[in-house]
Amino acid sequence: MAIQGEIFPDKGKGRSTSAAQEILRFSSHRFLRQRLVLCILSGRSIRVDNIRPDDVHVGLRDYEINLLRLVERITNGSTIDISVTGTSFVLHPGILPGGRHTHTCHLGRSIGYYLELLVPLAPFCKKPLTVTLHGITGSVNTDLTVDSIRTVTLPHLHMFGIEDMELKIIKRGSAPLGGGEITFSSPIVRHLKTIQVVDPGKIGKLRGIAYSTRVSPQFANRMVEAARGILNTFVPDTYLYTDVFKGEESGKSPGFGITLVAQSSTYTLHSAESSSATSRIPEEVGVRAARLLLKEVQSGGCVDSRHQWLVLLFMALGKEDVGKCLFGQLTSNTVQFMRDMQASLGVRFRITDAGSNLLLLSCLGVGYSNVNKRVD
Amino acid sequence: MERPHKAHHKPSAGSKAAKKDAAKDIDRTGGKNFNPKAFTSSSFRSAERAARRTADKDQKRLHVPLVNRNPEERKVTIEKGKGMDEGRLPPPPIIVGIVGPPGVGKSTLLRSLVRRYTKHNLQEPNGPITVVSGKTRRITFVECGNDLNSMIDLGKVVDLETFEFLNILQSHGFPKVLGLLTHLDLIKKAQTLKDTKKRLKHRFWTEIYQGAKLFSLSGVLNGRYPDTEINLLSRFISVMKFRPLVFRNAHPHLLVDRLQDLTPREQLRENPKMDRTITLYGYMRGPNLPARNAKVHIPGAGDLEVREAEMLADPCPLPTLESERRRKMGEKAKLIHAPMSDVGGVMYDKDAVYINVPGSFTRGSDALQGEGERMVMDLQDASKTFGEGIQNSEIRLLGTSTAPLQLQRTRRRAEPRNGGPILGTASDDEDDDQFTDEEVYSAEGVPMNDESEEEGGDADFAGSDSDNDLAHVTSFVQDGPRLDLPDDGILSEDDAPKWKADLSQKASAQLADRLGRRRDLASLIYGSDLSPEEIAAGKTRSSADDAESSRMAREDDEFFQVKTPARVSTQADEDFDVEDDFDALEATWTDPAMLESIRSMFITGPSDNVDAEGDAYEEEGSDFEDLEGAEGEDGDVPYIGVQPSKEVDHATARADALERKKKALEAKFDTEYDESDEENKIDFYDAQKAEMARQRALNEEEFAGMSNEARALIEGHRAGAYVRLEIDNVPCELVEHFNPRYPIIVGGLLNAEERFGYVTIRIKRHRWFTRTLKTNDPLIFSIGWRRFQSLPVYHLDDHSIRNRMLKYTPEHMHCYATFYGPVSAPNTGLCAFNNLTGENPGFRISANGVVLDIDRSTKIVKKLKLTGIPYKIFKNTAFIKDMFNSALEVAKFEGANIRTVSGIRGQIKKALSKPDGAYRATFEDKILMSDIVFLRAWYAIEPKQLYNPVTSLLSADKDNWKGMRLTGQIRRDEGIDTPLDANSKYRAVERSTRRFNPLKVPRKLEASLPYASKTKALSKQTKPTYMQSRAVVLDSEEKKAVALLQQIQALRKDKVARRSDKKEEKRKEHRKEMAKIEVQRGDKFRAERKEKMRKEGMKRKAQEAAAENGGGKRRK
Repeated sequence: MAIQGEIFPDKGKGRSTSAAQEILRFSSHRFLRQRLVLCILSGRSIRVDNIRPDDVHVGLRDYEINLLRLVERITNGSTIDISVTGTSFVLHPGILPGGRHTHTCHLGRSIGYYLELLVPLAPFCKKPLTVTLHGITGSVNTDLTVDSIRTVTLPHLHMFGIEDMELKIIKRGSAPLGGGEITFSSPIVRHLKTIQVVDPGKIGKLRGIAYSTRVSPQFANRMVEAARGILNTFVPDTYLYTDVFKGEESGKSPGFGITLVAQSSTYTLHSAESSSATSRIPEEVGVRAARLLLKEVQSGGCVDSRHQWLVLLFMALGKEDVGKCLFGQLTSNTVQFMRDMQASLGVRFRITDAGSNLLLLSCLGVGYSNVNKRVD
Repeated sequence: MERPHKAHHKPSAGSKAAKKDAAKDIDRTGGKNFNPKAFTSSSFRSAERAARRTADKDQKRLHVPLVNRNPEERKVTIEKGKGMDEGRLPPPPIIVGIVGPPGVGKSTLLRSLVRRYTKHNLQEPNGPITVVSGKTRRITFVECGNDLNSMIDLGKVVDLETFEFLNILQSHGFPKVLGLLTHLDLIKKAQTLKDTKKRLKHRFWTEIYQGAKLFSLSGVLNGRYPDTEINLLSRFISVMKFRPLVFRNAHPHLLVDRLQDLTPREQLRENPKMDRTITLYGYMRGPNLPARNAKVHIPGAGDLEVREAEMLADPCPLPTLESERRRKMGEKAKLIHAPMSDVGGVMYDKDAVYINVPGSFTRGSDALQGEGERMVMDLQDASKTFGEGIQNSEIRLLGTSTAPLQLQRTRRRAEPRNGGPILGTASDDEDDDQFTDEEVYSAEGVPMNDESEEEGGDADFAGSDSDNDLAHVTSFVQDGPRLDLPDDGILSEDDAPKWKADLSQKASAQLADRLGRRRDLASLIYGSDLSPEEIAAGKTRSSADDAESSRMAREDDEFFQVKTPARVSTQADEDFDVEDDFDALEATWTDPAMLESIRSMFITGPSDNVDAEGDAYEEEGSDFEDLEGAEGEDGDVPYIGVQPSKEVDHATARADALERKKKALEAKFDTEYDESDEENKIDFYDAQKAEMARQRALNEEEFAGMSNEARALIEGHRAGAYVRLEIDNVPCELVEHFNPRYPIIVGGLLNAEERFGYVTIRIKRHRWFTRTLKTNDPLIFSIGWRRFQSLPVYHLDDHSIRNRMLKYTPEHMHCYATFYGPVSAPNTGLCAFNNLTGENPGFRISANGVVLDIDRSTKIVKKLKLTGIPYKIFKNTAFIKDMFNSALEVAKFEGANIRTVSGIRGQIKKALSKPDGAYRATFEDKILMSDIVFLRAWYAIEPKQLYNPVTSLLSADKDNWKGMRLTGQIRRDEGIDTPLDANSKYRAVERSTRRFNPLKVPRKLEASLPYASKTKALSKQTKPTYMQSRAVVLDSEEKKAVALLQQIQALRKDKVARRSDKKEEKRKEHRKEMAKIEVQRGDKFRAERKEKMRKEGMKRKAQEAAAENGGGKRRK
């Protein structure tokens, strides 16, 4: 990673054709991961400016630099130039070779923050990707916990034909000191399936995992009990598991949390989670997670609201066929992502009102195929 | 002598009779239907044979199912007019390329075919010619010149034609090929004609497939081929079926039938070499092309970006239902679209329309001009383009209007951002661009599209544009084009914690409000400056202080300079909406009404559907697997928010639900038992095909109701549309050296294909190419749409461990090649050339191959042997020098395996301090001072980064593009001697004979050794032994025996000698005879060679004569 002071020269990289690809420009530090994903998948260079120009800590944060390092690690031939002040950077993406990698995540964010970058990239590598990440497995701020990634994010990819993604939690580690370790492995695909998911079904199953590290094992049970108190009135098929890690495997800091997943009769998922970061009392954490789940269920659609962008991305990357999916209310994150996607992939969605606050989003895939994959 | 005329017999059989019968509902089978039993065989053998045959036929039918991205052909049913679904986009015309060496009659054939289809006599067919060939099919004919570039390009787009061409086709996907033999009338003898035909036919079949169609055309009449033969040919063309080709299915493309230069004249005058803005016209093929900023490649010109693509009215439409009530196609429907040829005396050129006035005509030479002629002259003298004229003209709505109507270019900028409604108007530059383009388009005098006319019309008053159209179809737009939204309380109010009072009411009110309001989300997301948070929060217009700085930066971004430090810090790092108001959460979700409202979303909740009755929960494993099936059965989406269940309806609803449940059960039973046979019959192949058909139908219906513009924005331009592409920054040479004889193709590029990297291909030298290919010699590749020169490095897999570089391609084997260039998807076919010019005789395709892999780095190695010599030898350890130059180098190779010439293996241990680069090594045995130690290493090779696109369309002399030359060629051209390094010279190798010293064992040691280990060497006997010195005396008996033996041997010797003499005599005779035959044979051979050379000479003379004649391309 080179640090440069000047305005970056737009490296043509030996292009001699007349329509050299212009650099996509983005502003603000937000939505960084989505933009990195789009950059790497589309192969178009991006430049992000105005990264916290008026903040006390100007420029990229440490965890963002760490994220860029992860990008550099999993790609071949990328160049990242960060300005001296850190308020802007240019990324010329390389290709995704796959293989085994190990990365230590910054403790400012949880592992989920970094995994969310890896998940959409992993199926398009040259070889199957296996990444071992060290850091905080629980949640920091609003990052997804690794449990959410495992139980919600990965099943969302099943509908696109990516079945064998795997996430193993080897050690759990809570904020602030972390100490957790996970292994993420993904197969590769050539094409994505086109989806027609328009039936949200009815919620028939509730599952959940309550985890705790370096606290009394009873904490997990208390969270489960509290959440059950609310959820049992809706669905009797509620199984909440406790996952208590001890000793070496429980990281360096005390912490606990719960992840709830609601599955409908048509296998659509909605999830919510809460952790000790919001409250010190296990009951409160459990109840809060349950209520957040109800709220999430109320928003409706066939996709969990925090995975809207992922589903939209994979719909856009599909074959040149029309894909359809029913969504609940779009989050701000999704809205921005749709704009970014139009800029980088040129995909525009048709939005149809499906009544009762639901939206039917349809698009024509760009026919993205995994060109990295070797044939023999 | 009157004979009665033969009475007319009504046809009682055939298609006509069958149709009449069908119309009158007459059944002539007499109640006897086909009796299958009557034709079965009783023999098990023939039954088995029949079964085998059906199985064979079944398997032959199977191909890998491929999706066809082009629209399906229309179907004309027997009933008149029905089935001509005109609403849908027809498929693009079939491209028929006419290829062949010069002088074989390609133009004649083209003229004949055009005449057959349209009754037009073309003087000079130029460029693509589109004709309507039937009610369902259109054909574009293209004549391909005899230059390799055109052949390559056309080979990539033609659907349906010298053997070089066939080989190009093979690597880029094989279309249908119809062979044509001309000039057969020159062969006079019937038998020779027949033989020639047969020979050519078989040669053709080996290239294509057994039974490929081959036509022969005889003689030329009136500059055309005989009508009957052309008729026959056209019939074959019209029934050809095509299989989609993978590459074309994945890349949008079009064959350009018209080119127009839009660069302002004034700017051109100032700088004639400036980059041009051009428009290209043609029929879209393959998948959809994005409406804006589509990346394309024009082979021969380079990578370009289409600023805008626009759909135009079809210049050569298929007949409509109204015009075609009859069986035969009407004369009026037989259209021709050939802008580059002079159809009817009008010809479109790159920047002008030419009107062909018969008779001699020179401009400005004679003053006497007719009125019409003068008008035409005036037209040519126009100082402004028609478009400019239109722009400057004023239209008054009414005769009495005071001000003319105006196009407000800057209307959106001028609009107040705060006050005005944003709903209908999108405000970004792109829309402005589009708007002005529409103007240009309508001003060109191109046939106008209905939609675009309307568009232009209401653009004036409504301020609507494509985005608005998009809004119309998204079904929840407001009615009028301008609906001023009252800024009512709910939206403008803050998110301050006032919510605590009557929450559920408020929730429902918000819901109702949202439903009532009907925001047009698509235009908000894609067409407004609202921040994502505002959109997600349900706002429809931005307030100035809410402007968010995270939107994509643009040039006109001053607006976003407003600083919002507070927000940035709170929303610092969250990508998701933060839920931090837990009190609110608690209050909301403890409210029983709120809880009740979502109960219907759970299977335990109140049902509006039988599936939710609890069954779903039990059977979810089996019932809900198939999403599509479920959708089809239920009809409507089962869950539609909160449905207030009324007591009155309860009984009927229950009954209804029960009935539905029964039906579902019945259907389930049916699928499980009754149709299980049929289920089994649908094999994988059929299932795939059905799935494709289903997806295809879905693709068509999804955007069916939308206007073309709105559709284009979302899905791009579909195949079959006649589009106009506006392209900026086109090299001026493309326009300046434009020649309609050379086809222009616009090929869409996929996302990955614009990137550069190392491409690994599997390659095989073409068996007809005479030379081998050398690593790092420039080679011209044709991959995807592109043609370019690059420097390949050939390599082979070495025991799956490494890729070893090869200096030359193997003789008859595939090898790998890696070069730097634009990436194309793996599995793309390619062919390679050393030279594209027509000068070099012989076969020009040097290799074929397929893309395997794409990467940013390569792992090709070549062997490197480092040698060193020992300078000190201990027992098994030795000090080696002269292999490396420094201790650092040694450090790099510590632990590496080394070997002596004699085969003693060893290992590098550690660098020594004294002589630079010397090291200590151990061996498995003691080495000699005379041994050479070598280290086998692998040296990584990186292909040189050269990408030189073949810009043949940009050169004036299109046939002779000059690329990078070989070093040898440059030396030859420039007359430079090859540098010769003295060290590279061959010298006589002097090898001194090696003298081995005798092994000396010290006497003391010898004495102490056990016998087995003692040296055994004894010196030679010097004195004669007893055996040598003794005398032998024979007795009489022995003497006799010896004498007898000698006599027998003498006799035998004599016999053998005599026999061999005899044999020699015979041989002599034979040799004489053979010599005679040899002389005769030589004479015959000489005569043959003489004849051949004579013929050759005549041919050459004829060619030279033809060349001298120059322009006379072909004989009439």
